[in-house]
Amino acid sequence: MSIRVNPDLRNELIQFGIGDWNACYHCGTCTAICPLSEEGFLFPRKKIRLMQMGLQGPLESSVEPWLCYYCGDCTKTCPRDANPGELMMSLRRYLTSTYDWTGLSKKFYTSKIWELAWILFFAALVIISFLVILPSFGYKFTTELTAEGGVKLNSFAPIPIIEAFDWIMAIIVATLLISNILRMYYKIIWKNSTTKVSLWVHIREFWLLIFNFAVQPKFSKCDDKRYWGAHWFLMSGYTIMFIVIVVFLPWFQTEKILPVWDPQRWLGYYATFGLLFGLVIAIFGRLKKKDIKFRFSHVSDWLFLVMLTLTVITGIFIHIFRINGMPMATYVSYITHMAVLVPMILIEVPFSKWSHLAYRPFAVYFTQLKKNAVLK
Amino acid sequence: MEEPRIGVYICWCGTNIAKMVDVEAVSAEVGKLPHVVLAKNYKYMCSDPGQELIVKDIHGHQLNRVVVAACSPRIHELTFRKAVEKAGINPYLFEMANIREQDSWVHTDRTEATSKAIDLVVAAIRRVQFHEPLQKRSVNVDPATLIIGGGISGMVAALEIANAGKKVYLIEKTGRLGGHVIKFDLTFPHLSSARQMIRPILQRVENHPNIDVFLNTEIRDVTGYIGNFKTTIRINETESTELRFGNIIAAVGLKPFDPSKIEEYGYGKFPDVITSMEFEEMLGTGQVLTKYGKEPRNIAIIHCVGSRNKKYHEYCSRTCCMVALKFVHQIRASLPSANIFEIYADMRAYGKGHEEFYALTTHKQIIFLMYDQQERLPVISQADRNDNCNMVIRMNEKLSGESIEVPVDMVILMVNMEAHENVKEVVHAIGVSLCGNQFFIEKHPKLDPVATTTGGVYIVGTCQGPKDIPDSVSQARAAAARILATIATGSVAVEVTTASTNEKLCCGCQTCVKVCPYSAISYNEEKRSSEVNEVLCKGCGTCGSACPAGAITSKHFTDRQILAEIEGIMSMSFKGV
Repeated sequence: MSIRVNPDLRNELIQFGIGDWNACYHCGTCTAICPLSEEGFLFPRKKIRLMQMGLQGPLESSVEPWLCYYCGDCTKTCPRDANPGELMMSLRRYLTSTYDWTGLSKKFYTSKIWELAWILFFAALVIISFLVILPSFGYKFTTELTAEGGVKLNSFAPIPIIEAFDWIMAIIVATLLISNILRMYYKIIWKNSTTKVSLWVHIREFWLLIFNFAVQPKFSKCDDKRYWGAHWFLMSGYTIMFIVIVVFLPWFQTEKILPVWDPQRWLGYYATFGLLFGLVIAIFGRLKKKDIKFRFSHVSDWLFLVMLTLTVITGIFIHIFRINGMPMATYVSYITHMAVLVPMILIEVPFSKWSHLAYRPFAVYFTQLKKNAVLK
Repeated sequence: MEEPRIGVYICWCGTNIAKMVDVEAVSAEVGKLPHVVLAKNYKYMCSDPGQELIVKDIHGHQLNRVVVAACSPRIHELTFRKAVEKAGINPYLFEMANIREQDSWVHTDRTEATSKAIDLVVAAIRRVQFHEPLQKRSVNVDPATLIIGGGISGMVAALEIANAGKKVYLIEKTGRLGGHVIKFDLTFPHLSSARQMIRPILQRVENHPNIDVFLNTEIRDVTGYIGNFKTTIRINETESTELRFGNIIAAVGLKPFDPSKIEEYGYGKFPDVITSMEFEEMLGTGQVLTKYGKEPRNIAIIHCVGSRNKKYHEYCSRTCCMVALKFVHQIRASLPSANIFEIYADMRAYGKGHEEFYALTTHKQIIFLMYDQQERLPVISQADRNDNCNMVIRMNEKLSGESIEVPVDMVILMVNMEAHENVKEVVHAIGVSLCGNQFFIEKHPKLDPVATTTGGVYIVGTCQGPKDIPDSVSQARAAAARILATIATGSVAVEVTTASTNEKLCCGCQTCVKVCPYSAISYNEEKRSSEVNEVLCKGCGTCGSACPAGAITSKHFTDRQILAEIEGIMSMSFKGV
C-alpha cells in the first residue's frame, strides 16, 4: 500500500513553528546522538523525513515526538543547522492539534488573536461573576475581619459555589482530554492495520502510565538532569495544588489562620515553592536562550509561563493579604488569581501546551503497547 | 657502419634506485661488455652535473652511443636526448633503461633487483648499437580554421581565433546559430538570462569579417593532415565550395535523450509529461500552463532521465541537477503557491557556486523525494477521476523507505545529454575516435582534454562529454589558444618515429589500412602497395605488427632493434641457470 503525499501539509506545519525543514540532508547524526531514540522508535531523522515528504498519515500516527524531552543534543550536533529539536517540539504542537476533535487547539496554536480573545473572554466572565453575579446573590465584599484578624474570604468566595465550579471545570477539561487521548490511541494503536495488541497487554502495562506520570524517568535520561529535577518540582507542586483545590477545597480555603506546621500550610508552601522554582528556571532559560531547549519560544510557550507565574504570584498574595487582614487586597488578588487560572486551565490543559501532562505518559504507555504488538 | 662506442650511466636516483640495486656492481658488470667504452654511476643523472658528465664523456671518449639506466623514459628521455644532442650526437642514438619503476621500486630482494637491472641495461646496450640517426621534421600550417558546429562552444572558439586576425570557417548543420543555449531562458547558478548572454556573441560572429558562416551545411569528408586540411562543403545540397584550413575544431554538441524509451514515465502518452528542453521553451513563452491551459498546482521534476542507469546511459549528465533547481526558481516566480517536487537520485552540485545554489533552493519550500536508480524508477499513471490532480507518481522513497504516491499536474523530465546522432559522419571525416558513449575521445583525459589523437583536430563542448556552459566555453577558448599557437609558429613538428612500407615486400592485403588508428595509411593501386602518410603517422607500430608480409618498418622500432633488446635481456640471467 502506498501512502499518498499531501503537498499542502507543509503550509499547515509551518503554522506550528516549524521553519525550514529542508535543511536536513539525512545524515542521521541526530538519531545517533539522541539518548532516547531506540530501535523501532527512531527519531528525529525519520520524523523529519515524514515532514519533508508531506506524509500526513504516518506523521499523525507517530508516537515518537512525545518520547523526545528536548535535551537539544540533536540541534547542537546537526551539521546543517536543521534544528531537529525544535522540529520535534513543533511536531508535538501539531500532534496536539490533530488529537483535538474540536479544532480549537489548531486555532489557539496558529492564531494569537484567537487565543488571546478566548483568554480575555474567560477572564472577563470570572471578573463579572465576582463583581456582579455573586454580589447579586448576596455574597458581598466585607471589610470585617475574623476574630484572629484574618480576611473573611469564604463569605466573598463561598466554598460550595467555588467547589462546584471547580468540579464542573475539572469535568469539562477531563472529558476533553480523555476524548483526545482516545483519539491519540486510535491514531497510534488502533488504526494500525498490520498489528494488534491484546487486552492483557493493555492491563499489564498500565502501571507504566502512573509511574511515568509521577517520575518521568524518560526525562531523566536526557543529558541535563537538573531540568528533570526542576520540571519534577513544578509538576509535583502543580499536581498537589490541583488536587487540593478541586478535591479538598473546604480544607484548603479556610478563614482560620492555621499554625505553620499544619499540613494545609506546608503542603501549600511546598507546592508554591515547587512551582516557583520550575518557573524561574524556565523563564530565565527562555530569556537567556543559552540552552538549546530554551532557545526557540513559540507564543504558546510564553503564554503558559506567564499565566502560570501570574497564578502563583496572585496565590501568594491571597495568602499574605488574608492572614494579615487586608480584605480589599485579598479580594483583588483572588479575582485576578481566578481570572488567570480559569482561562489557563480551560485553554492550556485540553488544547495547548499543558496537554502534554497527559500525552507524554500515555505515549510511553502506547510505546510499550506497540512493542508488545503482534501481527494480525 | 662505424664502430659503436657506447657510454653507460647508471643513476642512483638518490636512494630510490641505489637502495635496492647495487649500482656499483651494475656498472662494473656492464662495463665488461663489448663496445662499452665506459660505465659510470652517479647520484642524479638528470641533474645538471649528471647531464654535463654525459656531454664531457662524449667529447673526451669520442662516444657515439649513450645508454642511461634511470627512471621511466616518460619522465626523462627527452632530458637525456637533449643532453646528447648538445654534445653533437643525433638524439635518437640514445636509449634509456628503466631500473626504477620497473625494478628498484617493485622489488624487495637486492640481489635479484641488481641482477634484473643488469639484464635491463644490457638489453639497452644491445639495442642502442642498432639505433639509426633520425631527423626532425615539421610541416607548414594553413592559418585558416574549420569549426564544425555553431553552438556556444563553436561560436566562442570562432570569435577567439577571428579576433586574432585569422580566418574561420564556421559550419552549422541547422539553419541558425546558437545551438541549445539560445533556447534557454535563464542559466544556473546566477539565474542570468541565456539569451542576453548569447545574442551579442551571435551578432559578433555573424558580422565578423574573419568568420565565414555556412548554415544548413554538413561536413562529409576531410582530407589532408595537420596544417593542411581540405574539404568540399555542400550548402543546401546544391552549391559546393572547397575550403583549405590548417586546424579543425569539432563542436557538434549534444542531443537531448528521448524519454519515450522509458516506459515508466509515459512520455508521449501523457500530454503534461514534458522534457526539460520543452519546459525551457514553455518558460520562454512566459507562462507555465498544462496542456489544458490550467495553472498546475503540483509540479514534479524527475532527475536523471536516461542518466546513471545501465539500461540507458551509465554516465551522469552533470548539468541536470542544477537546471532542475533553476526550474524551481522559475516556477516559484510564475506560480508562487505551486507545490514543487524534486524527484532525484542523487543531488550533484560540484561546480563553482553550485552547492550554494542548492542550499539556496532548498529554502524555497520544495519537497525532495529520492528514488533508487538501480532498483525501481518512479511510475507515472493517470489519476482517478475523483483525485484532485492530473497524474499520480508511484515510487519507493529511498530516505524514508516508504512507497508513496505523489499527486501531480505536470512532470518535467530532466533528460540526459546524449552524443549527437550524426556524430559518426563527423568522426569519420575528421579521423577521431569515439568512446563507448559515442562521445569524442580526447588525447589525454587529464592533461589534454582539448586535443585528439589526430594532429590539428580539437574537440570542444558537449561532443566531448556532458558539460555546462562555463566548461564548454573554457574548452573552446583553450582549443583556440592551441590553434593560434600553431598558426603563430607557422609550422608544427611531426612525429619522427613513423612507419614506412617496403613496396617490394607489400602483398597488397591492406590489413595496415584497416588497423591504422590515425587513417595515415592508404593503398596505392598503381604501385599495388600501401603508403604511409608520415605527417599523419604517430608511430604507434600497430601496422608493423599486423603486416603479415613484414613489409612495414617502424622507425626506431625496427625488428633488428627489438630483437637485439630481447637478446640482451636473455643473455645474462639465463647464463647461470
